[in-house]
Amino acid sequence: MIKITPSELNLIAQYIHEISGIYLDQSKSYLFETRLGAIAERLGCKSYQDFYNKAKRDLTRNIERQIIDAISTNETLFFRDKGPFELLQHKLLPEIIDRRTPKAPNLKTNIRIWSAAASTGQELYSIAIIIKELLRDLSRYAITLLGTDISDSAISQASYGKYNKFEIERGLDQRYLQRYFSLFGDSWKIKDEIRAMVNFRKLNLMAPFTSLGKFDIIFCRNVAIYFTLEDRKKLFNRIADSLADDGFLIIGSTESLSGVCPRFVPKRHLRAIFYQKNN
Amino acid sequence: MKNLSILVVDDDPVIRRLIQQRLEKANYPVEVAKDGTEASDLLNSKYYDVVLTDLMMPGGIGGIEVLEIAKALHSNTEVVLITAHSSVDTAVEAMKKGAADYLEKPVNFDELFLKLDKIANLKTILRNAQDLQQAMDTTENVASQTIQDLEMRVARLDELLDAVETSLTNTDEDEDVRIAKALALLAKR
Repeated sequence: MIKITPSELNLIAQYIHEISGIYLDQSKSYLFETRLGAIAERLGCKSYQDFYNKAKRDLTRNIERQIIDAISTNETLFFRDKGPFELLQHKLLPEIIDRRTPKAPNLKTNIRIWSAAASTGQELYSIAIIIKELLRDLSRYAITLLGTDISDSAISQASYGKYNKFEIERGLDQRYLQRYFSLFGDSWKIKDEIRAMVNFRKLNLMAPFTSLGKFDIIFCRNVAIYFTLEDRKKLFNRIADSLADDGFLIIGSTESLSGVCPRFVPKRHLRAIFYQKNN
Repeated sequence: MKNLSILVVDDDPVIRRLIQQRLEKANYPVEVAKDGTEASDLLNSKYYDVVLTDLMMPGGIGGIEVLEIAKALHSNTEVVLITAHSSVDTAVEAMKKGAADYLEKPVNFDELFLKLDKIANLKTILRNAQDLQQAMDTTENVASQTIQDLEMRVARLDELLDAVETSLTNTDEDEDVRIAKALALLAKR
């Protein structure tokens, strides 16, 4: 195994921050070695300096993609924390639908929801399932469900919508499993009616995202924890720009916005917190 | 006694007896079924960590069906198929359906014990991962309640401080009135 020197650690940590916004604690050198070692060795690198040079010179950005896949954490599950989904079902969606339903009977209700750190898709599919359960007939709605993530491999798994039994077992109700998934060999695949409701695309949250348009509800859970406070402040400020004035933001259940973004005010409903802009 | 319970399914009484004896000698808790139907009954009545089944058996329920029944009842049950060399393709197909592994006849017991050790190791790792997830979920739940309480408290205090500031800087009123109003606000904290 190639050992990483302190100066290389610094160099690689800065490089990772530059390409992904992820801030890795330099005291955890083993994390760099275990996650990046295999890529470096496959490339025949003699040192991490060599690895860095190869990555920087790679115009296809293939190495960069591999590094991002290796260092980004994809811990996620269906209906991770019940709170936000109950909140969505019982409060946020009904309120948004109420406000967005046009007076004219033949016009559709527009709803736009963004899962900003979609990982392998479980969060967005859970949202889609809640919407399908709540509304049943979707013909009167124009619903945009967008999932973005920095990792190519996460996005491709999300798009494929196939999950092994370990990914399925945690969090997903048997009732939903039977209704919205089909057995696919040893795994489960999301049914087309749910798959057709969502879109996934690659996005680095450190890069501009105003082109995505404004959203009624944004989920940005458990991603900012990997960023520095400075980057977190910038991110939530830009998320505020992308949220409709009466829209809702949901962050991870152990995250806080106090001292991060004064444009958001926390509101509590049942056992969950959501944020609204203080316009 | 090893903590991997095994169900052996084979219609050949000699092979069935041989596998049972070797596994028992190696300290595995073992039960046997003489065909797919009996295996299905046993699987329906209790849980086994591993099912070791012959691929080709007479009657309606063969090894593939035993695999399907075992997996449908308990996804944690691991199935190892015993197959003649000529049916390796079928065994590979079975692995796509969730079989853990396959063994070719005649059964090499060293190979069987290696595969069982591997399954036991995987089950231990899986168990540890599940324990860790459980611990993480618990920690996360407790932490999130604490953080929510603090987040709401900070928001309330911010609001209060804004109101106090407004009151203190309100030059339309006398100083002592401003202070009294600010103190009244603070008293509600």
